[in-house]
Amino acid sequence: MAYEEPITDYDHIVENCTCAFCGSNCDDLDFLVKGNHVVGVRHACRLGASKIMEDEDQRLKVPMMRDENGELQEVDWDTALDAAAELIANSVRPLFYGWSETSIECMKKGLKLTEYVGAVIDNQATICHGPTVQAVQNVGYPLMTLGEVKNRADMVVYTGSNPMNAHPRHLARYSVFPRGWFRQRGRFDRTLVTWDPKFSDTAKMSDIWVPFEENGDYGFCNAIRAVLKGKELKEDVISGIPKQDIIDLTESMKNVEFGALFFGLGLTHTLSKQRNIDIAIQLVQDLNAYTKWVLLPMRGHFNVNGFNIYMAYEMGFPYGVDFCRGYPRYMIGETTTVDLLNRKEPDVFLVIAADPGAHFPGGANMHLANIPVIQIDIHWGPSTELADIVLPGTFIGVETAGTSYRMDSVPIHMKSAIDPPETCREDEWIVNELYERVKKIKEEAK
Amino acid sequence: MKTITLTLKKFSSIALEFEELIPDTVYNWSKEDFENYQVPIGNTRFPLTNYFDIEVEGDAEGPEDVKMILDGDMSRVKYIGYRMTAGEIIVNGDADLQAGAEMIGGSLKINGNAESYVGREMRGGSIEVMGNVREYCGTSYIGEWRGMSGGVIKVHGNAGKQLADCMSGGEIYIGGSCDILAGIHMTKGYIEIGGDVTRWPGGQMKNGTIVIKGKLSSLLEGFENEGIFVDPDIEGKQLTGKYIKYKGDIGVNGKGSLWLNAEKNRNLL
Repeated sequence: MAYEEPITDYDHIVENCTCAFCGSNCDDLDFLVKGNHVVGVRHACRLGASKIMEDEDQRLKVPMMRDENGELQEVDWDTALDAAAELIANSVRPLFYGWSETSIECMKKGLKLTEYVGAVIDNQATICHGPTVQAVQNVGYPLMTLGEVKNRADMVVYTGSNPMNAHPRHLARYSVFPRGWFRQRGRFDRTLVTWDPKFSDTAKMSDIWVPFEENGDYGFCNAIRAVLKGKELKEDVISGIPKQDIIDLTESMKNVEFGALFFGLGLTHTLSKQRNIDIAIQLVQDLNAYTKWVLLPMRGHFNVNGFNIYMAYEMGFPYGVDFCRGYPRYMIGETTTVDLLNRKEPDVFLVIAADPGAHFPGGANMHLANIPVIQIDIHWGPSTELADIVLPGTFIGVETAGTSYRMDSVPIHMKSAIDPPETCREDEWIVNELYERVKKIKEEAK
Repeated sequence: MKTITLTLKKFSSIALEFEELIPDTVYNWSKEDFENYQVPIGNTRFPLTNYFDIEVEGDAEGPEDVKMILDGDMSRVKYIGYRMTAGEIIVNGDADLQAGAEMIGGSLKINGNAESYVGREMRGGSIEVMGNVREYCGTSYIGEWRGMSGGVIKVHGNAGKQLADCMSGGEIYIGGSCDILAGIHMTKGYIEIGGDVTRWPGGQMKNGTIVIKGKLSSLLEGFENEGIFVDPDIEGKQLTGKYIKYKGDIGVNGKGSLWLNAEKNRNLL
């Protein structure tokens, strides 16, 4: 990596901004601003800094609609909003997906619209930590705040996640490297363990690497639980790990003062899905008979947890909430986005602050190509290619202030540092405007 | 006896919801009542006659005198027999999600395959599926620790993942093979699987019985061998042949029993 000169050419610094990238929500960033552009970011990781600084790259700046030749053409805000409202008002099975990269304030307006038209509202949890949420509903949630890990943890386990690549400041800011109240020497006072079939970048810097076989997570956790209950293991190798290694690992996990288990999509999306998390939570519960252990999912987007918390608070269900009968319903496989799209049910799809074009399975995207798609986003992406109406929003945490929830469910206010482009509108304003226009169409029809 | 025949004439890609069309509500409906009925589809209701030809014959004093026949591909008709307490429903085709969910009594027969959640939180009655069922047959609602608590589910084909999770009563018979984690979190009840099982039956089970007549690919560490039994009598059901008995899951101090056919699972002897 070439040496980069420090940035000195800026007008002013905006301090204590929050990063709008991953679920770590680092809120200690300094933005270097010049002429209403962020030209430099201090303290952020490369992922967060590049998202904030290269904001102008492929930015959606004007509303667009597809013409009869299938090309996106610039239109004015009224035309685009009226067309979008018309589609939503006349739909039978609308689906509003996304929300994880926008503010709680915007979700509030979105929920109002969803309830009014009888749509399904869902977020990215449906393709990432949905199984975690189901397991938590089944067996509980022994969680903590990241501050507790920083101050107390002397063993940190990462499984099915690779924070060195995906949450780069997680180890540096919260879990392994920082000096805490009871861990004055930082990294030297802690044992870092990685359970992962792959020798990931996190595994490379770990004290202990447990390479269980792929899909072996359930059997591995079950074996640790059996050892904790005093059972003699009968197989010599379990899920690819020698018996003695499992016994030694269990013993060291019992003998720490405060242990924290972080897990990612490697655990939620292997063979037994939510049951992996289920057994991991119960393993943590078992360990609490000996010492203090806690667990936390490594959430991806900066506000994916916020949507789940907000929906659970307002409607009692965390994601995939279906209002088609006038009251909220939640059933995995029935009211969740990918299943609905695979079944070819939705007839209008609104995507806000998400990129299904890049993330959804081919079958789901095939249905998206056949139905009207309304996109509210800030950047051109694969979903824009699928969209029929594009409404350009603003960047939460840089151009617009808002509330988000960190992965440990701590709410954080994200401040704005610069002004949004003149032709863009805030997500909250757009969704509210859609609500008002849909309401007008529905009331006129009565 | 009243026979109600609904024959599909138009397929809707958006699922129809049939929880209002169970013998308990329709036993005193005339043909006109059905023709005036609007069925929920998405956020709207549409006339049932748009999708079905309706025939009604005979009279019924109560739901137990009703026989409903659904002819055609019902793979977009959800909640067939939802919360029914009596009567009979026959589906001549595939059934969609939640067939027989929360069923209390009566019988449901599906002469085809069924989607996920067949007999979810079932309390009584019987369900027979001639084809395969997909995931979560006889399970609990998400987060609920009491799943199916009574009744009988008989599947002649294969079952998908997490059959009967959190089962707390009733009986399930699977003729074919079964995917991972059958009877997970089970606390009571009886599961009999005629074919092979991929992995981990009875994960975290506290009590209840699972019988596997085929080959099991992977057993969890939480199960302890209790010996081999010939022609065992399990909960009043006489099995023939040699069976290996396991107790588990130790991880939750479980006292459940898992019976494996010894001939098919010689590697475990």
